[in-house]
Order: sequence, then structure tokens, then C-alpha cells
Amino acid sequence: MNQSRSRALKTIPASWWRLLAGVAGGIAVFAWAGDDGYRASLIVVGCMYALVALGMYVPFVLAGTLSMAYSAYAAIGGYAVGLVVANLGLPFPIAWVVGPVVSGLLAVILGWTTRRLSGFFLVAVTLLFANAFQAWVQGNPLLGREAGIGGIPPVSVLGWTPTSMQFGAAAIVLILVVTFLIERLRMSPWGIVVQAIREVPHAVEASGARVPRMQLVALAIGGAIGSMAGSLFISSVHSINPLTFTLNLVFIALFIPIVGGVGTAWGCLLGAVLITHLTLNVNALGTSGMLVVAVGVLVILLVAPGGIAGLAGSGWRLVRRQLDRRTGRARQ
Amino acid sequence: MQNPQLWVSVFTIGSFYGLIALSFYLTLVGAQFFNFAIGTYAMIAGLGTSWLVIFQSWPLWLAALTGLLAAVALSVLTEVAVIRPVQKRSNGELPALVAVAAVLFAVQQGAGLLFGHQALPGQPIFATDRITIGDAVIQPSAVPLFVATIAVFAATWLWIRGSRTGRLLRAVGDSNEAARTLGLPVGRVRIIAFAVGGLIAGVAGLVFAPSSGIGVGPDSGLHWTLSGFLAFVIGGSASVWAPLVGGMLLAMLQIFVSYYFGGDVAVYGILLVALVFFAFRPEGLFARRVRV
Repeated sequence: MNQSRSRALKTIPASWWRLLAGVAGGIAVFAWAGDDGYRASLIVVGCMYALVALGMYVPFVLAGTLSMAYSAYAAIGGYAVGLVVANLGLPFPIAWVVGPVVSGLLAVILGWTTRRLSGFFLVAVTLLFANAFQAWVQGNPLLGREAGIGGIPPVSVLGWTPTSMQFGAAAIVLILVVTFLIERLRMSPWGIVVQAIREVPHAVEASGARVPRMQLVALAIGGAIGSMAGSLFISSVHSINPLTFTLNLVFIALFIPIVGGVGTAWGCLLGAVLITHLTLNVNALGTSGMLVVAVGVLVILLVAPGGIAGLAGSGWRLVRRQLDRRTGRARQ
Repeated sequence: MQNPQLWVSVFTIGSFYGLIALSFYLTLVGAQFFNFAIGTYAMIAGLGTSWLVIFQSWPLWLAALTGLLAAVALSVLTEVAVIRPVQKRSNGELPALVAVAAVLFAVQQGAGLLFGHQALPGQPIFATDRITIGDAVIQPSAVPLFVATIAVFAATWLWIRGSRTGRLLRAVGDSNEAARTLGLPVGRVRIIAFAVGGLIAGVAGLVFAPSSGIGVGPDSGLHWTLSGFLAFVIGGSASVWAPLVGGMLLAMLQIFVSYYFGGDVAVYGILLVALVFFAFRPEGLFARRVRV
């Protein structure tokens, strides 16, 4: 009986275990917040970090192209909420669609312009693009120049106005769904080919896959998800200015998958929880939370390249091997 | 472009960009690596010196020496403790690039913690009177920058051309693999490249700080890295002097476009120049041509 149970456990694929763990983690975070408004706002910030990290995960970890323009994509999502809801008086869902679509298109245009670049050159150009975008926003009268857009009304969807707790719960559900979809994408035939591009681009190109187009699609998906982060955050804080989303956010989002583990998109959620805790929730260290993060990233890169999820995965395999050995011995 | 005072600004900023670009040149020639943390070494040297002089009342020469040593130590540490182990374990440039981004971020945050977030005035390493040439005025703060730029470039040029280490540097930079096969001390040469690169970045930060003021902010560190990298790409790597030309051209773009069309246009212009150069001429204006 013990044996059959262990066999039944084995037939459940690892992806479902990860989903279960993710949902359990989401419930745990929600329970931790209780009805504390500050903790609910921390959850929204953490979900924003997680979404930017998930957005970068698709082109960076899967396709191997590191674009750093995500502060611009998040800003587009945020300004979409400001323009559509506060200035035009249209409902929120329209803004939530407009932002990702515009960002996805922009990511395609930027990706097409920089299609010959990789590595350091791509990083430098996308950082310069983020700078130029910020300068453009600061000078744009439609976007409120330096002052930005304020007075965005509280979120309401079809007459329903969520409390901050309900909004936090919705944010958690959103990132769980996005992560699950990215995981499906990662293990789909498309995802496998894109990951092969990262490793051996010429071989994939030679076997007939349209490499540039696939990379553009990866960049567009990433840009759209990064934009959702901005929409989510601005819907919660009700105002945006050109300094809301800076390059700091991009660096944080770059470090999140590395801390959490690049092997699976669920690592982004682990990393986001840890980094939100370190940067915003640890008051004892003052402003040095970011220093702890940066040093931690270096240590993880050097010691445990799989991140926390990688460590957890190898621990899990170790336990399973011990269990197998024990049941094997029992059979004899 | 008739205004001589604008040209003084071009030479000031261009000298600084040129020095940072020269630092990129050294780590590229010696280690085939673009060290994105270079801008933060410059910041540490300049800011550390100012902080030691202003808040700890150290004598200037000791503070400057400490600042430069810190830049060199950080640069060598980046190579030995971060880039080398990461490159040994994984192929491709992305893992090392992310690691260097973490170094950049860590140095920036550490500097903020140590020195605070307020901007400090730079400390001139020697004082002169202001110099007037025709209608243009060269501020005393810019004179050490010009002197240091010429001295550093000349010294690097002599060192790369004339010394055994300089030849080793070029040999290792052409191909780490070939150099290793020949039995050349690749690891040691890379450390030398990073040490000298860190020193030059430190000098750049130290002598530019009096013209710009210095603090832990978006205007130093990463911003300096990007400008220096762009200057390096514009100039190319054919000669030691190419980074200086690249720095001057980038400074001309920045100063004249800002002056005639406004600061926003200069930012777009720099993005455009980066796109054009990276896509169509990543080897820069002056490229070494090898006849086969």
C-alpha cells in the first residue's frame, strides 16, 4: 500500500507540484497580511516586482536576450491607467488591456531595431532607451511632465469596488495565473525551441525555425507582462510620475529570478517574496536592504546558480531518493 | 559651434568620457570583457576622496591615494571573485554580465550606505588660476582634468607599446585560448588589465569630480558606465588614443545638441547614435584591420 502511494505520487508531474506549492505560498502570504492595510500594500508591491521579473524571465531566461527597458514598459502600463481612467474617464479594464498591448508593440519595435545586438551592446542600448523614454515622459504635457498624473479613482470593475485586501488577493491570483501560463509556455514546443535558441542559435536557425521572429515574440510577451506590473501598481497607489518606475526596478527584477531560481518561473515568485521582504519589510537595516540583495545575488551566482528553487529541487530529489531506497529495501 | 566656451565644456566632458572609455579599452584588450561596473569605480574614487577630506579631515593626498586604491581593489576583486568563477562555470556572456550588474548595484548601494546620499563637492588635486584663452575661460577645476587626461593616455600608450606586460596584454586579449596554449600567464595578465583599468577609472572620477560635483545618484555610476561604453564603441579599439577621440565626439554630440536643441533631444540623439554604431559599426571608427 505504501508502495502504491509512492507510485501514485510519482505519476503527478512536477509542474503540478510547483503549482500546488505556488498556490499554498499565495494563501500563506494572504494569511500573513490578515487585515493589515500596510501588509496589503506590500503584497501589491511584491506582485509588481514579481510581474516585472516574470516579464523579464521570458526573453532573458528562456530566449537569452537581456533587455533592460522594463522601467519603460511598467511606466506605459501605469500611464495607461492614468490616461484612460483619470483623464478620459473610461473603465479600468480598458486601461489594463491598452498598457500591455502598447508595451508589447513597443517591445517588438525596439527588438526589431536592436535585432543585430546581443549581450553588452543590447544591455547598453536598452538602458539608453529607458533613459530616453524617461526624458520623453518628463517633457510630455499630455502625461503631466514632472508632476505626472494624480487623482486616479479607486479601482472599480463593473460596479464592484474591491477593498485593499481584496485587491491584494486579486494581485496574488493574477501572478499565480501568469506564472502558471509562463510555465506552460516554457514546456510547450515553442518554449523548448526558444530555449534551444539560447543555447545553440545557429543550429536552431539551420533546422528551419524562424529565430528572429521567435525572439521578437518572446520580447513582446515580456513587455506586455512588464506593463501589467505598472498597471497593477498604479491602480493601487492612484498616482504616477516619471520617477515611479526607475532603472532600480529593472535591476531588482533582473535579480529576482536569480535569487528565486531560473529553472522555473515559480522561482520569480520566491525571489519576489524574499526581495520585497529584504527591501521594504526589514527596517532594522535601514536603506541597506538593497545592498543585502545585491551581495546575496553575487553569492547565489557563485555558490548556488539554481537559486532557492534549485536548492529546494535538489533537496526534494535527495528526499525522494532516500524514500525510494527505503521502499526498495522493504521490497527485498 | 562658434562659441569657444562650449568647446571648453566639450573638452572637459570629453576628457572624462575618454578616460572611462580607456578603462573599458584595457579590460577589453586584456580580458575580452566589458566591465560594466567601471562607472562605479570612478564614483567610489571621487566620492571617497571628497568624503574623507570633508568629513574625516584627512589630508588630500592620503584621501586621493585611498580612493584610487579602493577603485583598483574593487576592480581586481570583481575579476578574481566574480567574473572569473562565473566564466569558468558557464558559457556565454549573459551570466557574467548579470554578475557584473550585481557588482554595479552592490557598489552603488554600499557607497550610499557609507558616504550618504548627498552630493559632495570634488577635491581639486592641485590648484591653478583660471585660464583665459581668447573668449573662453577654463575654470581652475578643469585644469587637473586636462593634465591628468593627457598624462594617463600618454603613459598608457607608452606602456602598451613599449613594455613586455603591454605586449602580453595584447597577446592575451587577442585570444585567451591561444595565449593559454602558448603558456602565457593569462590569469595574471587579466588581473593587471583589471587593476590598471580600475586605476584609470579611479583617476577619471577623482579629477572629474571638481567639475561635476559627485554623489551616489543616477548621474554617476551607471550613467558614467553607459557614457564611457558608448565613447569606447564610437572610438574603436585600433589604438590607445581611439577612446579619447570617441569621448570627444560623444561630448560634442551631448554639448552642442543640448545647447542648440535642448537636453531631451540630446538624450534621443545619444540613443540614436548608440543604435547606429552598435548595429552598423560595432568595431568603432578606428578598427584594427588584420590582413589575412
